[in-house]
Amino acid sequence: MIVLVILLIPFITGLLLLLIRNAATIKLMALASAIVNLAATLSLAFSTQASSSYSVSWINFLDINFALGYDGTSLIMLSLTSLLFPFIIMAGMKREQEHPGLLYALILFTQSALIGVFLAQNAFLFYIFWELTLIPLYFILLLWGGEGRRNITFKFFIYTLTGSLFLLFGIIYLYSLTPGLHTTDFSVFSQLNIPANTQVWLFWVLFIAFAIKMPVFPFHTWQPSTYTMAPTQGVMILAGVMTKMGIYGALRFLFPIIPAGVLYWQNTVIILSLIGVIYASVIAFRQTNLKTLIAFSSMAHISLMVAAMFVLNYYALQGLLFQVLSHGITIVALFYVVMLIEEKTGTLELPKMGGIKLLAPYMAILFLLIVLGSVALPLTAGFVGEFLIITGLFQQSIWFALFGGFTMVLGAIYMLYAYQRVMLGEKRPDLENITDLKRIDYIVLIPLITLILVLGIYPQPVFNLVETSVNTMQNLLVPVADVLPSLPL
Amino acid sequence: MVEQIPNINLAWLVPAFPLLGFLVTGLANRKLKHNQAGIIASAMVLLSFLVSVVLFFILRASGQNEATVTLFNWISISGMNIPFALLIDHLSLTMMLIVTGVGALIHIYSIGYMHDDERVNSFFAQMNLFTFSMLLLVMGANYLVLFIGWEGVGLCSYLLIGFWFKNPEYNYAARKAFVMNRIGDLGFILGIILLFFTFKTVTFSEIFVQASGFQVGAPVITLITILLLVGAVGKSAQIPLFTWLPDAMAGPTPVSALIHAATMVTAGIYMIARSSILYNLAPLTLNIIIVIGLATAIIAALIGLKQNDIKKVLAYSTVSQLGYMFLALGLGAYSAGVFHVTTHSFFKALLFLGAGSVIHAMGGEQDIRKMGGLRKKMPLTYFTFLAATLAISGIPPFSGFFSKDLILSKAFEHSIILYILALGGALITCFYMFRLLYLVFFGEQRLAGAHPHEAPKVMTIPLIILSVLSVFGGFLNIPSLFNGDSEFITFLQTAVVSKASEELSHSTEIGLILGSLLLLGLVIFLAYRTFVSKSIIPAKDGEPMPFFSKLIANRFYIDEMYTTVFEKPFGYLSDFFYNKVENSLLDPVVDEIGFTTSRVGTLLRKLQQGNMSFYLFAMVAGILLFIIFILIV
Repeated sequence: MIVLVILLIPFITGLLLLLIRNAATIKLMALASAIVNLAATLSLAFSTQASSSYSVSWINFLDINFALGYDGTSLIMLSLTSLLFPFIIMAGMKREQEHPGLLYALILFTQSALIGVFLAQNAFLFYIFWELTLIPLYFILLLWGGEGRRNITFKFFIYTLTGSLFLLFGIIYLYSLTPGLHTTDFSVFSQLNIPANTQVWLFWVLFIAFAIKMPVFPFHTWQPSTYTMAPTQGVMILAGVMTKMGIYGALRFLFPIIPAGVLYWQNTVIILSLIGVIYASVIAFRQTNLKTLIAFSSMAHISLMVAAMFVLNYYALQGLLFQVLSHGITIVALFYVVMLIEEKTGTLELPKMGGIKLLAPYMAILFLLIVLGSVALPLTAGFVGEFLIITGLFQQSIWFALFGGFTMVLGAIYMLYAYQRVMLGEKRPDLENITDLKRIDYIVLIPLITLILVLGIYPQPVFNLVETSVNTMQNLLVPVADVLPSLPL
Repeated sequence: MVEQIPNINLAWLVPAFPLLGFLVTGLANRKLKHNQAGIIASAMVLLSFLVSVVLFFILRASGQNEATVTLFNWISISGMNIPFALLIDHLSLTMMLIVTGVGALIHIYSIGYMHDDERVNSFFAQMNLFTFSMLLLVMGANYLVLFIGWEGVGLCSYLLIGFWFKNPEYNYAARKAFVMNRIGDLGFILGIILLFFTFKTVTFSEIFVQASGFQVGAPVITLITILLLVGAVGKSAQIPLFTWLPDAMAGPTPVSALIHAATMVTAGIYMIARSSILYNLAPLTLNIIIVIGLATAIIAALIGLKQNDIKKVLAYSTVSQLGYMFLALGLGAYSAGVFHVTTHSFFKALLFLGAGSVIHAMGGEQDIRKMGGLRKKMPLTYFTFLAATLAISGIPPFSGFFSKDLILSKAFEHSIILYILALGGALITCFYMFRLLYLVFFGEQRLAGAHPHEAPKVMTIPLIILSVLSVFGGFLNIPSLFNGDSEFITFLQTAVVSKASEELSHSTEIGLILGSLLLLGLVIFLAYRTFVSKSIIPAKDGEPMPFFSKLIANRFYIDEMYTTVFEKPFGYLSDFFYNKVENSLLDPVVDEIGFTTSRVGTLLRKLQQGNMSFYLFAMVAGILLFIIFILIV
C-alpha cells in the first residue's frame, strides 16, 4: 500500500493546490507534500521488511494490471526523486512567480508521474507514466520558460514524442510475442527468449526513446536549448530526474528483455557515449552562457553513466547507480546557484560577470564546493561514482577508461573556468549592488552540499541498497554470450 | 598477525588537528580577530608535529617497523574493500615530520608575512586544509587514500596560487596548475585501477607482498609503474608537465615555500619511493625516470640562469632539484631521493622564506635587477639565505652536499656520462644561486626610495631554525666515507627497497668530491667576478641578446609551444564542434528527421491543417483522453 501512497500524495496535493489562491500557502503545501513523500520513500529504502507492492486488475480485456512494486534500482530512482523535489520546490520559495497554484500543481503532477514510472511493474503502465511526465513538464516549460520558449518547447516535445512512438511500437510488438493471454508484465517480457536476430533491430526501437531522454550523442540536440530556456525548477526536474528516467527505462527494457541485442550493440553505444563525453566537455569550454555550459557539462556526465550502463559489470553498475544519486544532487545544487547568479546579475552571460566573490563571499564558497563535487574531487559523492564507473570501464577496456576518465581533466577545465569567470577578478562597476546569500538559500544549499560530502565520505549505505539489484543485473548478459557469434556482426 | 602497538591509534590526531584548524578558522572566519586565525592554525600544525614525534618514539619503542590504523571502511563492495586507513612506518614518519615540522615554521612565519592582508583568516584556513590533505597523502595506507590527499593538495594549491583572486593572471596560473595536475592524476587513477585488477587490492602492504610473484619486466607491472609515473610527473612538475610550477609563484610566498617547494611537489617522489617494490620490477620505467629527471634537472637549471624574478629563479631551481630526486629514483636509489626531499625541504623553504623577507622589505618588488646591497640592511636574512645557497649548491658540510653527493655517486656507479651531466647541472645550479645571492645582497642598492628593513621576529625565528637545519641536516646521513653509518638511509630501509648497488671505493669517492668542489669553487668565483667585481646587471627586458641567452631567457618557448599546440587548438576544436558539428550538422539533421516523423504521424491521422502547434495540442489532448478513457473502462 505504501507505494500507492507515495504515488498519490503529490497528485492529490497538486489537485488541491489548484483551489488555493495564496502563493505562500501553495508553496508550503507543496513542500509539505514533498517532505511527507520523502519520509515515506526513505521508510521504504531503509525498511527491513519484504518489498511493498500494490496490484489491482485494471484493463481486463487486455489483461493489464495496475501493478506497482520496486527493487533496488527503482529505490535509488525513487529516493532521488523524493529527495530532490523538496529542494526543487524550495527553489521557488520567497520568489515572485506567476500563477503559483498551477505551477506547483504541475510540478507535483510531474513528480507523481515520475514516481509512477519507477514503480510500474508492466510495460503498459510504464509507458502511460512515461508519457504523463511529459505533459505537466511541457506546460511548465511553455508557460514559465525564457526566451524562445515556444519553438524550443515544441522541439523538445516532438523530439521526445518521436522516441516514445518507437517505444510504444516496441511494447506492442513485445506484447504480441507473449504467450497465451497476452500481457505486458516485465517479468513475462524477460522470459520471452526473443530470437537474437530480432533483438538486433528491436534494440533500436526500444532504445531510441531512452537515448533521447538521457540524452546519448547524437540524440541530444534538443537538450542545450531546452535547458537554457527552461525555468529553474523545470531544468532541475529535467536534469536531476528526467535524465535518470532514461537510464532507468534502459535498465528495465533492454538488459532483461533483449540481452542479445544489447550485447550486439554494446560497443556501439559505449563508443557513442564516450564520444558524447568528450564532445560535450569540449563544447562546454567555449560556452558563454552559464546555463548552456552546465547543460553540456551535464550531458558529459550522463554520457559517462550511459557508457557504464552498457559495460554492465559489477563496478560499473555500482558506480552508475551511485552516480545517479550524486549527479542528481549536484546538478540541482548547481542550477540553484545559477538561478541566484542570474537573479543578482540579471544575466547568464559569462563575459558580463566577474568579481562577485568580493561582494558575495559565501555564495562563492558554496558555489566552489558544488563545482568541486561536479569535477569529482575525492571525498565528494562525484568521486566515488566516477571512480567506480571508470573502474568498470577499465574492466572492459583500458581505452574506455582513458576516454571516460577525460571528464576528470576536461571537467576541471570548463568548470573552473566558469567559476573563475563568475566569481573572481576585479569588481565590476555595473554589478556593485550584489548581496550575499539569504536564509532560504542556505536552507536549500547547505543540505545539498552536506549530502555531496557525506555520500563522498561514507557511501556505504547506497551500495548496500543496490547490491542485490546489481548482482542480478550484472549477470543478465552472461547467458547470451554464446548466441552472439551466430549473429551477422 | 602483528601485535597491536599500544597508543599507535593516536595517529588519527595528526591529520585531525589541521582539519580542526581548517574548520575553526574557516567557519569562524569573520569572527576571529586579527592574528587569531594564524595562531590557531600554527598551533594545530605544531600539535601535529608533536604527535608525529611521539609516534616516532612509540614505533621505535615497539620494535616493529610499521603499524596500520584503520579508521572506517570507505568503500566496501563485492571484491573491493578500501578502508580509510593510515600507515605509520619509517617512510610516512619521515614525511610527516617534514610536513608538520617545516609546515609549522612556515605557518608561524606567515603570521608576520600575511599580517596586513585583509583575507588573512581565509589564508590560514586554506593552509591548514593543505596540511591536512598532505598528511593524508603521506599517511594513507592504500593508494586511494593517498589519492584523496593527492587531489586535496592539488585543490589547496589551486586555491592558494589564486589567493589574490582579483588578478586574472593569478587565476589563470591557478587553473593551469590544477588542470596540469589533473592530467597527471588521470594517469595515476588509471594506474590505481590497474593495480586493483592486478592485485585485487589497493593496500600497500598487500600489494607489495604479492608483487614478488611477478617477474622483472612483467608488462602489467611496467604499465602500472608508467601510469603512476604520469601522476608523479604532474605533481612533481617534471617534463613535460612542469610549466605550471613557475606560474604557481603567483601565490603568496609562504605558499611557494610550503606547497611548491617543501612538501606538495615532492609527493611524486614520495609515491614512487613508496612503490619501490613495483618499480624495482620495471627497469624500463626506471630508465624513463632517469631520462625525465636528468632532462628536467638540466633544462630547468638552464632556464634559472636567466630569470630575473627572485621567486621565478627559486621556482626553476625547485623544478631542477625535483629532477635530481627523480634521477635518484630512476637509479633505484629511492632512499637517496627521499633524503634529498628532506634536505631540500629545509633549504628551499628557507630560500623562499628569505625571498619573502626580501620582497616584504622591498615593498613587494620581486625583480632582482632592482635590488642589491641588502646584505647590510638585512644581515639576518642575508646570513640565512647564504646558508641555504651554500646548501643547495652542495658545498660541504651543508646539508645539500650530503644528499646531492649521494645522488651523484649513484649516477657515477651507473655511468660516467650520467655523472657528468648531473654534475653539469649542479654547477649551473651553483652559478644561478650565487648570481641571485650577489645581485640581491651585494653591491649597491639600486631601487631608489626603498627603505629595506629586517623582518619582525615572528618571521626571522623560523628563518634561523631552518638555517640550522639547512646547515646541519646533512648529518642525518653521514656516509661511511666520513666514518658515519648512513643512518637516514638505514632508517628508511624497512619501508623502501632500494636497488642493490656496488659501493664506490673511498678513493674514487674522494676524487669525485674534490673534483666537483674545485669546479664549484670556480663557478662561485666566476659568479663573483661577474656580478660583484664587474657589477654586471642582467639586461633589461626586450634588449637584444645572443641566440642561446634569448632561448633560455624565454624558457625555451615551451609555454608558447603548449599554447600553440594544445590550448589554442582546444579552443578551435570547441568552436568547431559547437558551430559546425552541433549547430550546422546534427541539429538541422535531427530536426529534419523529427519533423518528418511528426509529419508522417499527422498524415496518418489525416489532420493536415498545416498548423504545428495544433498537432501538438491534439497529441496532448489525445493522450489525456486516452488515459481518461482507460481509467473509466
